[in-house]
Amino acid sequence: MNKLKLNYTSLSFLPILVCIPLGHQLITNIHFGGFKLFQEFLISAFNPKIDNEIILTVINRLNETLFIGFFSWLISIIFGAIFGTLSSNIFYKIFNIPNFFQSIIRFFLTIIRSIHEVVWGIILMQIYGINFSIGIIAICIPYTAVNSKVFTEQLETIDYKNFESINQINAPKFSSLLTLIWNPIINTFKNFGLYRLECSIRSTVILGLFGIGGIGTSIFLSFQTLNFRELWTYLWSLALLIILPGLIFKKIKFKNKNKILSIFFITVFFITILLSFSYFINFIFNNNFENFNSLIYLFKSSSDLGLFDFLKLILETIILSLLSTGIAISLPPLLIGIFNNSTSKIFIKLFAFFFRLIPTPVILLTLLTFNNPSLSLAALTLGLHNAGITSKLLFTNLDSQDKRNYIAMKSLGISKKTSWLLGLFSQQAKSYLAYCAYRSDIIIRETSIVGVIGSIGLGWQLQESLSSFAWQEVTIVLTAYSSIAIVGELINGKIRNSLT
Amino acid sequence: MNNTLLELKNISYKYKNNLILNKVNLKINSGEKIALLGKSGSGKTTLLSVLNGTIKPTQGEVKLFNKSFDELDRKQKRKITTIWQDLRLIDDLSAEQNVNCGLLAENNFYFAFKNLLNISSFKKAHKYMQLCRLHNSIYDKNIRNLSGGQKQRVAIARSLIQGSDILLADEPFNNLDPKLITTIKKLLLENVDRNNTKKSPKTTLVALHRLDLLNDFDKVIGIRDGKIFFNIKRNDLKTLHLDKIY
Repeated sequence: MNKLKLNYTSLSFLPILVCIPLGHQLITNIHFGGFKLFQEFLISAFNPKIDNEIILTVINRLNETLFIGFFSWLISIIFGAIFGTLSSNIFYKIFNIPNFFQSIIRFFLTIIRSIHEVVWGIILMQIYGINFSIGIIAICIPYTAVNSKVFTEQLETIDYKNFESINQINAPKFSSLLTLIWNPIINTFKNFGLYRLECSIRSTVILGLFGIGGIGTSIFLSFQTLNFRELWTYLWSLALLIILPGLIFKKIKFKNKNKILSIFFITVFFITILLSFSYFINFIFNNNFENFNSLIYLFKSSSDLGLFDFLKLILETIILSLLSTGIAISLPPLLIGIFNNSTSKIFIKLFAFFFRLIPTPVILLTLLTFNNPSLSLAALTLGLHNAGITSKLLFTNLDSQDKRNYIAMKSLGISKKTSWLLGLFSQQAKSYLAYCAYRSDIIIRETSIVGVIGSIGLGWQLQESLSSFAWQEVTIVLTAYSSIAIVGELINGKIRNSLT
Repeated sequence: MNNTLLELKNISYKYKNNLILNKVNLKINSGEKIALLGKSGSGKTTLLSVLNGTIKPTQGEVKLFNKSFDELDRKQKRKITTIWQDLRLIDDLSAEQNVNCGLLAENNFYFAFKNLLNISSFKKAHKYMQLCRLHNSIYDKNIRNLSGGQKQRVAIARSLIQGSDILLADEPFNNLDPKLITTIKKLLLENVDRNNTKKSPKTTLVALHRLDLLNDFDKVIGIRDGKIFFNIKRNDLKTLHLDKIY
C-alpha cells in the first residue's frame, strides 16, 4: 500500500478536522433561548437607527477611535522601524557590535509582544484608572514589538553581498546603514502599513469594549442593553472607518522617488518621535497614581490559584489556540473551493468582511444567544474572526495569480473545482500556510480576549485576578501567557522558515 | 623606491574544510595592469575578496600601502575599489542612485539621505554612466528593469566614480557585446579620473576567462586550485603556462 504523502495543498485542508470535536460540543450545547434575540440582531443589520442624536454620537466616537487608532499606529510603526533596525543582523554587522545586544533587544521585544494589547490595557487601567492615553499606550506597547518583528524580517532579506559591496566602498557607517535599509523599510511600510492601521483601529475598538472609549464602548453598551439597531449603526460606521483608509491609501501613489511625499514622511517621522517622547513623559509625571499603590501588593498578595486549576487553564488556552487556528486555516480555502462561483464568492467575501469587522467579544456574545458558553464556542469565535482575515489574504493572492494553469486544466475538461484546487490554490498553498503560521501567533495572543468574555482559559483567570487586585496571580498568569505565546512563536517561526 | 601597493604574504583561506587559497604570495605594484587567469572555482574571486579586505584569510598577511587592513583608516581603505562578478547592485534603487553609491565614502550621511530621496546631484554619476556607454534613457530606471549588460556597466560606473587607486575587477566583461568589451576594457585599463582625464599610473587587477582579451595587460597571473602557478609579463606568456592552469 502506498504511504500517505502530505503536501502543502492537503495540509491547508487537514486542520478542518478540528470541526469534529468542536461541532460535537457545539451541538450538545445548543439552546433556543436566545433565538429571538439573534433574529432581532440580524434584522437590525438592515434597519440601523439613524437620528440626529446617534449621528452626533457616532461622529464623536469615531473621532475618538480614529484618534487612538491613528496615533497608536503612527507611533508603533515608527518605533517598530527603529527597533526593527536595532534587532536586525545588518545593524550589528555594519557597526561591529556584539550580537549579544541584539539578543537582549529581541528577547524583550518577544516578551512585550507576547501579551495582547487588551491585557496591557486592562493592566494599565488597573494602575492608572480609565484614561484616554491608556488606549494609545496599550496598543503602542505590543504593536511596536510586533511591527519591529515585521521590519526585522524584511531587513533580514537584504542580500549579504550587498552589505559587503557597500562596506567595501568604505562609506560612513550611518550612510551604509541608511542605503541598505531604506528600501526594505519603505517597502514594509507600503505593504504592511495599511494592514497595521486596520489592526490598530480594530484593537482600539476592542479596547473600547473594556471601557477605554471610542466606538467600541458604544458597541458594547448598546449590545448590553440589547439595542441592536443602535449597535448596527455603530458597526456600519466602523465598517466605513475601516474601508476609508484603504481607499485613501490606494489613492496615494507611494513612489520611492516622490520627493515631496518622502520629505513629508521624514518630517512626520521626526515630529512623531519628539511628540511621543514628550507625551509619554507628560503622561508619566502628570498622572493620577492613586491606583498605582496597588502594585506594592504584588509581593504581599497571596495566590489562591491551585496548580491543577492553573494547568487546566493553560491546557484550555492551548486547545483554544489550536482549534481556532484549525478553523482559520482551513475554512477559507474549503468554502472558496466548494462554492466556486462568482455569486458565492461575493457572499464569502461579505461574511469574511463582517467577521473581520465585528469585534470578537461581540461575535462571541452573539453566538451565546443560541449556544452555552464553552471552549468550542470561544474557539469558533476566534476561528471565524481570523478566518475573515486569512480569507482576505487568500482572495487577494488568488485574484492576482497567473491563471494559465487553471484555464489549461479547465480546457482539458477537468471540473471547475478540481481545476481551482490544482491549477490555482495549489500554487498559493505554501505561502498561504506560511502566512497562517504567522496568524497563529496572533491567535494565541487573542485567546486572552475571548477568554475574558467567554470564561475560558487564562484570559478569564487574568480578568478575575485583576478585578480582585491579586497581583501575584496576575504575574503568574501573565508569565504563563508569555511562555505559551513565546513557545508558539518559536514553533511557528520554524514552520514559517521551512515554508519560505 | 618601494612602490608596492598590495602584498599578500603566505595567504591561505579555508572554507568548510576546503582549502580555497593555498599559501599565496603576491605583490602588486603601482601602475601595473594585471590579468588574473584561471578556471571556474580556481580561487580567483576569493583572491580578489582577500585583496579588498572583504574576506579575512585563515592564515597569512595582507598589506595595503605597507599596512595591514586593520591599521588602515577609512580614507586609505577607499583607495581600493571592486567590480564584483555578481555586480552587487541595490535592486530597489535606480541606475543613477546605484552609481552615486560609489560616492558615499567621500560624502557625509546627508548625501546618502539625499541620494535615497533622489534629490542629490547626479551630474557626476551621469558623466561616468556616459563613459560606460549607458544611454540617458536608463539613468532613472530601476536596476531590476535593466538588461544584464546594462547592469554590468552600472556596476563598472559605480566602481570608477570612486576614483580609487587600485581597481579589482571580477570578470567585468560578462554580458557585454564585443564592441562594448573594447570600450570598457580601454576604460578600465586607462582609468579615468574625476576630471575625465587620464590618470596614470592606476593599478588594475582583472580576473578573466577569455584569453583574447589579454593584450593591453602588463602582467598575467595564473591560478589553479588556490595556488598561483605563474606570475609573469604578458609577453612571456606561452601555451605551456596556460596548460598548467586549464
